[in-house]
Amino acid sequence: MLGELRKRYERLLEWIVIALMAVLFVEVTLGIVYRTIGASLPWYDEVASILLAWLTFYGSALAAVKRAHIGCPEVIALLGPGVRVAARAVASTLVIAFFALLGWVGYVILEVLATDHLVSLPEVEVAWVQSVIPISAALIILGELLSLPLAFQQARAGHAGQTGEATQ
Amino acid sequence: MAILIIFACVLALVIIDVPIAVALGIVAVAAMVITQGTGSLPNLPVVLYNGATNFPLIAIPLFILAGAIMNASGISQRLIAFASALLGFIRGGLAMVSIGTSLFFAEISGSAVADVSALGSILIPAMKSKGYPSPLAAAIMSSAATLAVIIPPSIPMILYAVMAETSVVKLFVAGVVPGLLGGLGLMGMAYWFARRYKLPVEEKFQWARVRQTFRDAFWAFTLPMIILGAIFGGVVTATEGAAMAVLAALFIGLVIYRELDLKHLKTAMIDGGVQTAVVMLLVATSAVLGTYLSEVQAPQKLAQAVSELTHNKWLVLALLNVLFLVLGMFLHSAAAIILVVPVVMPLVRSVGIDPVHFGLIVTVNLGIGQQTPPVASVLMVACSISKSSVWEVTRVNIWFIGVLLAVLLLVTYVPVTGMGLVHLFYG
Repeated sequence: MLGELRKRYERLLEWIVIALMAVLFVEVTLGIVYRTIGASLPWYDEVASILLAWLTFYGSALAAVKRAHIGCPEVIALLGPGVRVAARAVASTLVIAFFALLGWVGYVILEVLATDHLVSLPEVEVAWVQSVIPISAALIILGELLSLPLAFQQARAGHAGQTGEATQ
Repeated sequence: MAILIIFACVLALVIIDVPIAVALGIVAVAAMVITQGTGSLPNLPVVLYNGATNFPLIAIPLFILAGAIMNASGISQRLIAFASALLGFIRGGLAMVSIGTSLFFAEISGSAVADVSALGSILIPAMKSKGYPSPLAAAIMSSAATLAVIIPPSIPMILYAVMAETSVVKLFVAGVVPGLLGGLGLMGMAYWFARRYKLPVEEKFQWARVRQTFRDAFWAFTLPMIILGAIFGGVVTATEGAAMAVLAALFIGLVIYRELDLKHLKTAMIDGGVQTAVVMLLVATSAVLGTYLSEVQAPQKLAQAVSELTHNKWLVLALLNVLFLVLGMFLHSAAAIILVVPVVMPLVRSVGIDPVHFGLIVTVNLGIGQQTPPVASVLMVACSISKSSVWEVTRVNIWFIGVLLAVLLLVTYVPVTGMGLVHLFYG
């Protein structure tokens, strides 16, 4: 049941990441084309940077479900199963606490940003753009919770996965 | 002192397997609250968000995507066929083919793990079937894959350039000669092993076969070379070059080779997105910690402390090399760059080291770190494909690591090795 829910949630986040990757690629390509024909897009840099930030935070939610964030599981894997499970519990609690704090502060700050607008697209509110922080924080917590059974299973088995691979 | 306490806290969290990005965030928040009170908390989401909006880093997802699309387009087999026609006549031909193909693949991929995954899955079983001992096959493929981060494009170089606020294009150019030298050195070592184990030649050298395989692989490595040429020539930025690389990869996969299907494309986009996110979250949380460290002037104090001991830049480089070699054994290269580079840059600049030269040293150094256990992502993939233990492979790989260390020393103490081309092109 929980496994099925995790798979569906993972699939939803995968499509969000695919969409962001596609839009980012199209936007940068359009930027090159327009600059080449001498009609540079004034919002090109700002929108590309926003897309990168969205990809970072929504992609982080997907990475949380896949347990793909860069860590160092090799050290804890050398210890006994009891210690590994206890460490997993502490580590997951800290992760959830950090994103809960981030989500809460990120939500509170949106009110402060309510009157700010993007420089190149004044019709877009900064608060709308930065809503990615509280939303993704909630998504990351959900991802962490849904993948917890798998994480404890790996901790019991002493599995040390490799993470962050394509960037190495 | 502040740096030591902060790094000790981060280390403690990382040891219990808290993701490094989150460990940085937790320590930064704790430091902010302790020194400035809870009133500083609203800065957290703002700095974190701004840390993830670094325009030059857009090149990372795009280069990862381009490499993944090229790989899903059947490029690996074509590059292997060309390398085999070109180098297969030498004793230990398949070892030469593995290193040669890695050299070609390096100009498409900026990631050593992508390189070893794509090529190792074909070449390691092929080497084993020709009588290569499993650990030797894994060591050859693993060490050769490191060339992917030295030869442009290179994701660690992009990260370093942003962290050190230096030119990624110059860094790309600086990587060309050391990458080629590394390839030649690894081939020399592989040849020594080939004679020792009496390994066979792969195929007879025939110009007709070279021409035919070159025609097949033509688009696969000429288009990326044109794109790199455009980046080096200043026609496009690294980020724009990365978008062009994706466009070229799609063109090759969909129009020229017609082997790229939507399933592969979907997987490539997900992998690219996730890998980007994990690195960018590190960048973002390190920005929060960096803000705190800057406020207490920790990097400047470190620079001053070391400068009081010595002003000799060669000695400082030796110390930094040892630091990065040790870090490379325990940290992923992205994490090492993000954590350490901003802290040591004031020191690097104060003793007169060129940031581009230092970037090349860091890249080669962390490339070696991908080969040294316990945290050795590239080695682990090669071990997993070859079904050999890490220690068996490391006993052989130590010789190939020796070659890479020689390249590191050359790059460090004969700066013209890497910087010669930079000075030639950019003065």
